[in-house]
Amino acid sequence: MIIVSSNIISSIKVEFVPFNEIRKIHGSQIISSDYPAYLVDESKLEGNAEWLFFPKSEAEIISIIHFLREKRIPTYISAARTGIVGSCVPKSGSILSIEKMDKMLGLGFDETKGKYYCRLEPGIPLKVINDKMMKKEVEKVRELTPNAISRFLEEKKSYYYPMDPTEMSASISGTVATNASGAGTFKYGATRKWVKKIRIALSNGEILEIPRGKYYASNDGMFIVKQTDGTDLVCKIPSYEFNTDVKNAAGIYAKPNMDLIDLFIGSEGLFGVITEVEIWVIEKHPLISNVLFFNSEPDALNFVKLIRSNQIVSPEFIEYFCGGSLDLLRNVQNKNPAFLNMPQIPSKARSAIFFDLPYSEDNLVSYFEEIDGLANQCNTTLETSWSGYENREFLRFKHFRHALPETVNSIIAERKRQYPALHKLGTDISVPEENFSNMMQYYHSVLQEAALEYVIFGHIGDFHVHLNILPKNIEELELGQKFYEQFAKKAVEYDGSVSAEHGIGKIKIEFLKIMYNEKEIEQMRSTKIALDPLLMFNCGNIFEIQGDK
Amino acid sequence: MKIVVAIKQVPEADKVAVNSETGTLIREGIESILNPFCEYALDMAVKIKDDDLDNSIEIIAISMGPPQAKMALLRCLELGADRAFLLSDSAFAGSDVWATALTLKEGIRKVVPKFDLIICGKQAIDGDTAQVPAELAENLGIPQIFYGVELKVEKKKIKVKKETENGFQIIETRMPALITISKGPSNIRRLPSMKNVIEARFKPLDIITADELEIDRAKLGLNGSYTQVIDIFAPPIKETGKIIDGSDPGKAADQMMAFLKKKQLIKFEVE
Repeated sequence: MIIVSSNIISSIKVEFVPFNEIRKIHGSQIISSDYPAYLVDESKLEGNAEWLFFPKSEAEIISIIHFLREKRIPTYISAARTGIVGSCVPKSGSILSIEKMDKMLGLGFDETKGKYYCRLEPGIPLKVINDKMMKKEVEKVRELTPNAISRFLEEKKSYYYPMDPTEMSASISGTVATNASGAGTFKYGATRKWVKKIRIALSNGEILEIPRGKYYASNDGMFIVKQTDGTDLVCKIPSYEFNTDVKNAAGIYAKPNMDLIDLFIGSEGLFGVITEVEIWVIEKHPLISNVLFFNSEPDALNFVKLIRSNQIVSPEFIEYFCGGSLDLLRNVQNKNPAFLNMPQIPSKARSAIFFDLPYSEDNLVSYFEEIDGLANQCNTTLETSWSGYENREFLRFKHFRHALPETVNSIIAERKRQYPALHKLGTDISVPEENFSNMMQYYHSVLQEAALEYVIFGHIGDFHVHLNILPKNIEELELGQKFYEQFAKKAVEYDGSVSAEHGIGKIKIEFLKIMYNEKEIEQMRSTKIALDPLLMFNCGNIFEIQGDK
Repeated sequence: MKIVVAIKQVPEADKVAVNSETGTLIREGIESILNPFCEYALDMAVKIKDDDLDNSIEIIAISMGPPQAKMALLRCLELGADRAFLLSDSAFAGSDVWATALTLKEGIRKVVPKFDLIICGKQAIDGDTAQVPAELAENLGIPQIFYGVELKVEKKKIKVKKETENGFQIIETRMPALITISKGPSNIRRLPSMKNVIEARFKPLDIITADELEIDRAKLGLNGSYTQVIDIFAPPIKETGKIIDGSDPGKAADQMMAFLKKKQLIKFEVE
């Protein structure tokens, strides 16, 4: 239902604390010498800043914003710094680190949906949320609905937040700001779907409280923010329709009559500072992890097609290992079996699919018999597989999956000794199902012809695999970079995304230009300027903007 | 040839804590697993079977425990046991090592009377007593060799490389015999295939009750136990250090001084 007046939201004035009570570091030298970790993220892009703030509350964030506004100092919002595209890396000005705001504030139960939800400070890591949920550590949290906590404590079931972007030390607000996703997105969608409400501090020093389902863009794509001084911020959303047919984290989300909350989710901090988040949590059910090996890539791709459309089995995720990936892991296994801690990878295997299924003794046999049927159609059998359902086994499977990117990184680190400028080239491209097989063939033909070393692995359930090129020298690096751009263009031709989950940040801005034309990027800029007219927040993320080039 | 592997289901050890008020183990939310040393024992049995060209070896897993211990036996069936028996009855509850060994002895006598070899883990990671295998062998009147790391079956004899405090010994004995294992044949724990997982669900896993064992009830469970656990306690937790935030060196120094003074570690005033 679309209500015309619901595109108007009022920003709220909140108390703020004296600026001198806020913990802060001043001086670019001291920041770079004593706090260098705040100038980088996992992309290793390095920035600089004159101020570093550690607010402990929303009120402190507001005080900092007033100070920055008055002094015309831009700021870069920083949390766990686990991103890999440089979104939190400061170009200049200041860093606003919300890492000290790391508490679970409340727990509620929505009777209509029959679901629990948590209210969180922005800096709480995902791992901490899940630990608290699993151990039912809710003594100090506020009850958001009557009897929610006693009801929760009496529950025999375990609950958790199903978003797993691999790096569970990521903060909740970082994952909201990037609409983080991961392997489990196949079943549970990306972060967007799990956000119930957010509070955002705008550059006017006021707060927007945005629950999902309350504020929608008007038919002409407008939102109006009524400020307490009686003036309005008028924001027009971009007119393009954000591609949701594939896994996509490139650009500002925009849809006709979109929910205002979605404008902020995945916006990489361009519009304001997230000060509070409410998320849904769900019941945790037992799982069984499996790795099934295949004789060829087409067999594995066929299996993915079959299992995705199967009506009986419903995997939690579907992950891929190409033949080259398995070769790399075999080498590791030969040199240091304890590192991989898995049985010998079958010698004839040329690809593998890793998938978790719901586990109960009642359905296990029927599920596996179903998988057996699919495996036979793909020229393999359940004999060439691994399976485990104990917690200690899950950790082994998880490690096996992560051992591959770790191995790639260690190979590159070794080669960097000879060529310090060398780095891994990792794509984050997704394409629709109908073009996936062609895209894979394209990767292989281009890279094999050029004789570059590469591996392909990752979220094949969402047709989003990571292609990692491992250059051996600078010539190969340059060649790989050229191919990367070529692959991004091909993906866009195929209606895919240049960045399915990593986001654009500061290091993939050129890739965004492959996916959006200048007019569309200009519309993103206009939306940014409407909500952040003084250009205070995260300038230089997603697109260049005046003064930040 | 029949190889019996006597196993125990245990809580995943590194996660078990002791409730300081009640002195009991906090098992809530802790998963139960096949005791790792028992898994080594099973792996040894499977290795002997795999090396047997005649394909004439049957592996039988047996355990005494509550109904949920069935899951540990199911894991044995996934990893290569051919059949399994769970001795489960409320009459067995509260068994100490002696009553457990006696129950296992009667269980083995009943379900595998003509066994050739019994293999056990050297100890369970929860109780750590390492007494049940020895008492089981004694009750059955068969030779026992402890802390085996390599086994070799030669006709009616078994050769065992066993760990000692100073190195290894190689001991040979006639079968039937009981061997305990302190290290598996591989450093990497095996994983069943999906096929193994399905097949395990179709292998026989039978529950045996106290009545079926025909033992005097006075010898079972708490009644038949010579020992009782009076108290369980965790070793005292070492006090953790305090980290002082050094972002403001002045404040940090003040805090450090206050701490040192409070503990009376310094006795002079610093201007």
